Amino acid sequence: MSNAQIEIQLIASLVAVACAIPGTFLVLRKMAMISDAISHSILPGIVIGFFITQDLNSPLLILLAALTGIITVVLVEYIQKTGLVKEDTAIGLVFPILFSIGVIMIAKNANDVHLDVDAVLLGELAFAPFDRLIIGGADVGPKSLWIIGCILIITVGLLMAFFKELKISTFDAGLAASLGFSPSIIHYGLMTVSSVTTVGAFDAVGAILVVALMISPAATAYLLTNNLKRMLIYSIGFGVFSAIAGYWLAHWLDASIAGSITTMLGLLFLAVYLFAPSRGVIAVMYREKQQRTEVSLLTFLLHLKNHTEESERHVNHLNEHINWQKVRSKTVLDLALKNNMIKFDKNIVSLTEKGEEFTSQAIDYIITNQDSKIEHMKDDFFLFRG
Amino acid sequence: MLGSFAVLRKQSLLGDAISHAALPGIAIAFLITGTKDSNILLLGALISGLIGTFWIRGIITKTHLKSDTALGLILSLFFGFGMLLLTFIQKQPNANQAGLDKYLFGQAATLVESDVWMMAIVTGACLFVLLLFWKEFKILLFDADYTKTLGFNTKFIDVLITTFIVLAIVLGLQTVGVVLMSAMLLAPAAAARQWTNSLSVMVLLAALFGAFSGVFGTAISASQNNLSTGPVIVIIAGVFVLISFIFSPSRGLLFKQIRFIKNRRDLELKKTLAFMFHIAETHENISHPHTIKILNNFQGFTKGTLQKLVKKNYVRLDGTMWSLTEEGFKTASNLFNQQTDNNE
Repeated sequence: MSNAQIEIQLIASLVAVACAIPGTFLVLRKMAMISDAISHSILPGIVIGFFITQDLNSPLLILLAALTGIITVVLVEYIQKTGLVKEDTAIGLVFPILFSIGVIMIAKNANDVHLDVDAVLLGELAFAPFDRLIIGGADVGPKSLWIIGCILIITVGLLMAFFKELKISTFDAGLAASLGFSPSIIHYGLMTVSSVTTVGAFDAVGAILVVALMISPAATAYLLTNNLKRMLIYSIGFGVFSAIAGYWLAHWLDASIAGSITTMLGLLFLAVYLFAPSRGVIAVMYREKQQRTEVSLLTFLLHLKNHTEESERHVNHLNEHINWQKVRSKTVLDLALKNNMIKFDKNIVSLTEKGEEFTSQAIDYIITNQDSKIEHMKDDFFLFRG
Repeated sequence: MLGSFAVLRKQSLLGDAISHAALPGIAIAFLITGTKDSNILLLGALISGLIGTFWIRGIITKTHLKSDTALGLILSLFFGFGMLLLTFIQKQPNANQAGLDKYLFGQAATLVESDVWMMAIVTGACLFVLLLFWKEFKILLFDADYTKTLGFNTKFIDVLITTFIVLAIVLGLQTVGVVLMSAMLLAPAAAARQWTNSLSVMVLLAALFGAFSGVFGTAISASQNNLSTGPVIVIIAGVFVLISFIFSPSRGLLFKQIRFIKNRRDLELKKTLAFMFHIAETHENISHPHTIKILNNFQGFTKGTLQKLVKKNYVRLDGTMWSLTEEGFKTASNLFNQQTDNNE
């Protein structure tokens, strides 16, 4: 592994961490799309900054870009406040227009310089190590490493200082306001941090990846935990992991680093989305299926209890009466047999004592909806577990 | 046009997400076929756009993640994957690959005749289906539960609308590109929304606005060199939205402000009148003159309001003295009654 490779991975990981922190709060505050809007609309800010300084790496550029980011947020909120359109429409209107302005400004005035839309949107991590910061003639490392490092330190510092305030205002804005924190200050603070992070990061990794790095790790972590601190840690972990794994994927495929990091993030999310223990799609489907079987079982038992005639309790009759398919009826019958709730007598089904008791309790529960009645059944049955 | 539905369904950002999500489809279609036939690429874009859309749906319904997160997630992940594929393609020894990234930003100028025909056909199909299922679309849009109870297959209609939105987006990609497509979808609809409350009028207006900004944008960008078409169209559409926001008669900001000021003036007038009434009440003769000075410590009083009251014949002015007329006294006492009535 060469020096440049280590640096690229270091930058990618730092960006991942710096994005994951505001990203978590954006996801929790249902403002994920704002980051997308910001990442697009900072373009005019960068272009203007470039016209003023004629230098792609000056701090003024970052400042102006962050300012445009905040302007975006303010504009979106203003449009939304007029009540003419919904928030998402407001976002969808503001950023393409700002972006268009940026594109036109580039096309008209900056044709001959190194500032092109692709580079802005997509970034190129591979070149990051070549752009070195020289202080007093000594080479102290890539510029973007320093920029993103500073942003990260500021972000972490702010997070530490205002963790409690952020937490309260995210989950209960009303409480935060009544406790005397100004929700709008925290809101705009968060927006500023997001803008600055976006700007600082996108130089290295491109606008799209910034969005991906902000939202995906946080969303993935959110599927796994409900605890804010854990969510932060998980999302940082996911971010760093996919940054490094993505780098090697890109190395192997000889493709864009930003793209492969995003792909890694996507794969991670897909895996968690499918296999997360309590909220993954498979877990949810399994639970739903089990619940369906148990509801069927209950229906079946109630049916048995209601009918004493033999004709109503014949196995074949049950199939058509409750309108289940064969397989389904078999599952339900098996479950009932396994729990000793029914017995067969020449294809006539009848309830056992245990089944009788269970059914009456279930009826009680349905009527009164009191948990105490079924306290002891909760272990055996999913259905009653809430 | 289809944007109207997207705006009203609060799925505005879907357009953005889909246009990004279409990228890997284009790349994969190219990887498989190795040709640059725009129809095949569009098919790929359509498929991956649809996959993206339904995955977004899946995330929203199956997990507790919110719609904005799902949108942002799919958008960035698909786009990133698309970028990966594009850069991968660029390294492939295939001379055909150049120009794939025109889909990113779009170049209306590169369209050839067959593309235009393709668009015309799809637009025609959209229109036809829209007219055919007009009633169903409308009812689903405003009251989904009711639609279900009426026995319509809501899922089918839903999928139909979504498919057409995706189709429209994918077609538009060639013209204005990934980033600006969402504005093309939204801006005309958002502008049209300000002028009307009726769905059919809104759809018509949106189509009109869209067409206008398309024509103007192309004209402007053609008149000057170095001006790409997509951004210009979007900015024109944005201007339409701005105008609609400000000048629309019932919802516009300008008229709202005017109404607001009018209301305030009205209120001030009434306040002054009520104040005068209270003073006049204390005298036996209601027309007893008072100096204007005593009104000065009452906020809401201005020379203008006084003039207005004189014009309405509620107040008589005589030098620096004023007095209520008979009519003014009556109105003022009624004003008071009405207010108390309203309070109850």
